[in-house]
Amino acid sequence: MPTDPLSTQVFHILLSLVDDDLHGYAIIQDVAERTGGEVKLTASTLYAAIKRLLDAGWIEETTSRRRTSDDPRRRYYRLTAAGRQGARAEAERLERLAALARAKRLIPARR
Amino acid sequence: MTRTVRAYHTLLATLLPAGFNDAFAEELLAVYAEVDRSARGRRGAVGAWLALVAELPGLARIAIRERRTHRTIRAPHATAHLEANMLDALWQDLSFALRGLRRAPMFAFIAVATLALGIGANTAIFSVVNAVLLTPLKLGDPARLVALGERGKNSSPTALNSTSPASFYDWKSSSKALRIAGFSGVSGVLTGHGEPQQLPGTSSIGGLLDVAGVRPYLGRLINESDEDPAAPQVIVLSYDAWQRIFGEDRSVIGTTLDLNGTARTIVGVMPRGFSYPGAPNDFWVPSRFDGTFRANRDQYFIAVIGRLADGATIETARAEMDVIADRLNRDWPKYNRGTRISILPLQETIVSGVRRQLFVLMGAVAFVLLITCANLANLLLARAGARRREIAVRQALGANRRRIVRQLLTESTVLALLGGIGGIIVGKSFLKLLLAAQVTTNLPRAEEITLDGRVMLFAALASVIAGLMFGSAPAWQLSRSSDALRQGTRGSAGGQWMRNVLVVSELALAVILLTGAGLLLQSFSRLSRVDPGVKTEGRITFSLRLRETRPDFAPSAIDQISAVPGVKTVAVASSLPITGRSNGAWFNRIDKPLPEDVVPSGEAYRVVTPAYFDAVGVPLRRGRLLTSADRQEAPAIVINESLAKKYYPNENPLGKLVYLGAPDNRLFNSAPIVGVVGDTRDAGLGSDPLPMVYIPLAVMPKWPALSFVIRTNGNPSSVVSSARSIIRSMVPNTPIQNIRTLEEVVSAATAPARWSATLLGTFAAVAVVMAVLGVFGVLSFLVTQRTRELGIRLALGASTTAVQRLVVARGLAIVALGVGIGLVGAYGLTQFMKTLLYDVTPTDPATFAGVAGVLFVAAGLASYLPARRATRVDPMIALRAE
Repeated sequence: MPTDPLSTQVFHILLSLVDDDLHGYAIIQDVAERTGGEVKLTASTLYAAIKRLLDAGWIEETTSRRRTSDDPRRRYYRLTAAGRQGARAEAERLERLAALARAKRLIPARR
Repeated sequence: MTRTVRAYHTLLATLLPAGFNDAFAEELLAVYAEVDRSARGRRGAVGAWLALVAELPGLARIAIRERRTHRTIRAPHATAHLEANMLDALWQDLSFALRGLRRAPMFAFIAVATLALGIGANTAIFSVVNAVLLTPLKLGDPARLVALGERGKNSSPTALNSTSPASFYDWKSSSKALRIAGFSGVSGVLTGHGEPQQLPGTSSIGGLLDVAGVRPYLGRLINESDEDPAAPQVIVLSYDAWQRIFGEDRSVIGTTLDLNGTARTIVGVMPRGFSYPGAPNDFWVPSRFDGTFRANRDQYFIAVIGRLADGATIETARAEMDVIADRLNRDWPKYNRGTRISILPLQETIVSGVRRQLFVLMGAVAFVLLITCANLANLLLARAGARRREIAVRQALGANRRRIVRQLLTESTVLALLGGIGGIIVGKSFLKLLLAAQVTTNLPRAEEITLDGRVMLFAALASVIAGLMFGSAPAWQLSRSSDALRQGTRGSAGGQWMRNVLVVSELALAVILLTGAGLLLQSFSRLSRVDPGVKTEGRITFSLRLRETRPDFAPSAIDQISAVPGVKTVAVASSLPITGRSNGAWFNRIDKPLPEDVVPSGEAYRVVTPAYFDAVGVPLRRGRLLTSADRQEAPAIVINESLAKKYYPNENPLGKLVYLGAPDNRLFNSAPIVGVVGDTRDAGLGSDPLPMVYIPLAVMPKWPALSFVIRTNGNPSSVVSSARSIIRSMVPNTPIQNIRTLEEVVSAATAPARWSATLLGTFAAVAVVMAVLGVFGVLSFLVTQRTRELGIRLALGASTTAVQRLVVARGLAIVALGVGIGLVGAYGLTQFMKTLLYDVTPTDPATFAGVAGVLFVAAGLASYLPARRATRVDPMIALRAE
């Protein structure tokens, strides 16, 4: 996986998986909810990202299902250690950027 | 599964690589189904479709990326990297273009809609051109098929007249370079399958289907041995007829079918789409000429085709037929003196009559598309003006020029492709409209017209070329505007220059189109004002074909129909006026016989009942009309003025004795001319009146094909049903066909002219509207750009009229240039239309002046509106705007 800045969508997908293993549609809902509808994932963009995150080893499929009544086609995804590291690196990068902007008084200093 | 989900499923299956689909398709589809459900829940079907559209960029991204990953594994590293970059850039360009268009929906809509119209018109007309002119005939090895025909001493080198049975068999047995066959049209009444119906068919002479080189779909072809009069009666059906009559029942082969009261064994079915020599054609039967008829040299009705033998060319065949023609001249001088034999490629003879007309139409739609492109280029330039700063910023940030040009071209290509998709849809409906017109279906090979793969390819190519054309102007201009950051919104003179050039070319193209349309309209209106020589009010016609000789039928039917209330006159004729030459025979003056070695010329004749002249309104000029006393025992004939002028220029034709036909095979032995009637334009309204002989039906009572003309007091349609039941009671198994008013018969003669005039007129109207909009756009832009200057002028005391004049003058200068160039172009191009025009020269001054006038007025108005806006510029606001 690149060390370049992550795309907004990928970052939000990772954020959704930080504290819970989720299935695909749940990720879409979670992201929409968290951003107040500002970031809308389509099914296709989600799976374009999931494929790449899986390939990079940042997420993995969980073997255990939540509920037995669940749709058998649903797969749940979990953040791997590498993924957590990547997401953290991105958050830190964003923070550094924000700090630079603050130093220039572009945005108000943190209270 | 909802339709949207199904559509998504299809997209997944077709777009995404198998590797991805194996792993994710099922799951992705399940997630999408939930997205779909939620969108549907919130905003209904529209929401669901919007959600589907929103998926497209993501799908495209997977499609591009996953394919690339696959390839990079195999490709050498450097190329893979390069390719990856290119694909990334392409993806970026694409998504950027889509985003840009989404931000300007009105622009995108106008662009795609006008393009769809332009490409649609091209697609529809091209599908006609493609089927009629470009696709080879659906015959075996069509390039080696030729048409043969007789040609008189004075006829044009491309004349292909029918020949007689004896000449046909002479040609066939003497030729080595060609395998020769012939045909003639026949019609048959089918009985025993519901209502009796009349079917069009073909009589095979000398193994027609064999020479045509098409294998039967079922059973066998008709061969030459079937043409022996002693052979059993057989018939081959067309696929259509087989489907319609027998519902594709394969077991009909070997069973019999009743045609014209004769049982014929069905021996074969031809493949779908085969209808040679022309659609509609339901069956083929063998000709079965007896020995006497095979030796006949004066009945010219056989159309002849030939297949070049191996090693033979059309030239060697011509040389051989020349020798044969010489020999026939020697052996049968009475029939063949001066007769040559023409050979032309078969396809050529079928379509040559409409080629020019179709090319003119194709040219017209191409012009429409060019104008569309120019208009779009102008729109894009206007947009580019607004984006000048954005592009300059991107350049300043390091985007190279090539990349920016590519970006802009991507945008126009996306527009063009969307326009192309729209164009195929528009083209389909336009084609449907075209095919609803009788004239289109009367074109040769009309039954083959479809939107096939070649047409689709054409539409795609047209779109891409259009995209490059209208995209290149703004791209070229924008890529040069590196100083735009400084310039603000005022724009450079270069842009205005290019916009002017575009509008001038639009105007020029519109002038050419409008001139062409104007000429065709003039021609059509003159054609419809031509006096056909008949009166049409309150006259209705229909036709039928008797199955057996019934000399009593016509007189008795006329008596009974005459008794129907509302009927004034009833008459019967061998064919209706204005429907063509129909029948012809040698015209011989008995009082002034021609020398032995001169072949008389053939003249048209119609077999009529006495009331015919009153029924169709043809006036008597001299002598008397026919009466019921003019019978076989004491024949008399009537001629028209043209024939009188041709044969009796300085004599009184009345009382002169004549006969029609060959000396040993006369239609009647001898008859005096008893009257001269007015001319009718039977060969078409655009042609000179045809010399015509009218022979009483009582003189030729065995005539089987009869057209009824009923003159009524007012409402002809109410009479038809009574007439129909009278005919049905007399000859129950004879279908009544072509019920038309005489008005319709005559207007059918102008239909092709109306068709081309309407089509070209429509295209021209679209062209003019676009060109005028172009003028309007350019001047509005000019006013916007020069707001500051105009404001200063007004502030310094310029009168509003002066400012208006400034803008209008600029507009008129553009129009004058465009119209001028257009008129010159039209002068050159309309020469090509010469043969399509009636009574109008291709350089008709009135049309040219009218076109120039129309464009000046329309474009003048279009420049006045922006001019008015210019005068309302508030000097203060204009200055502050800087």
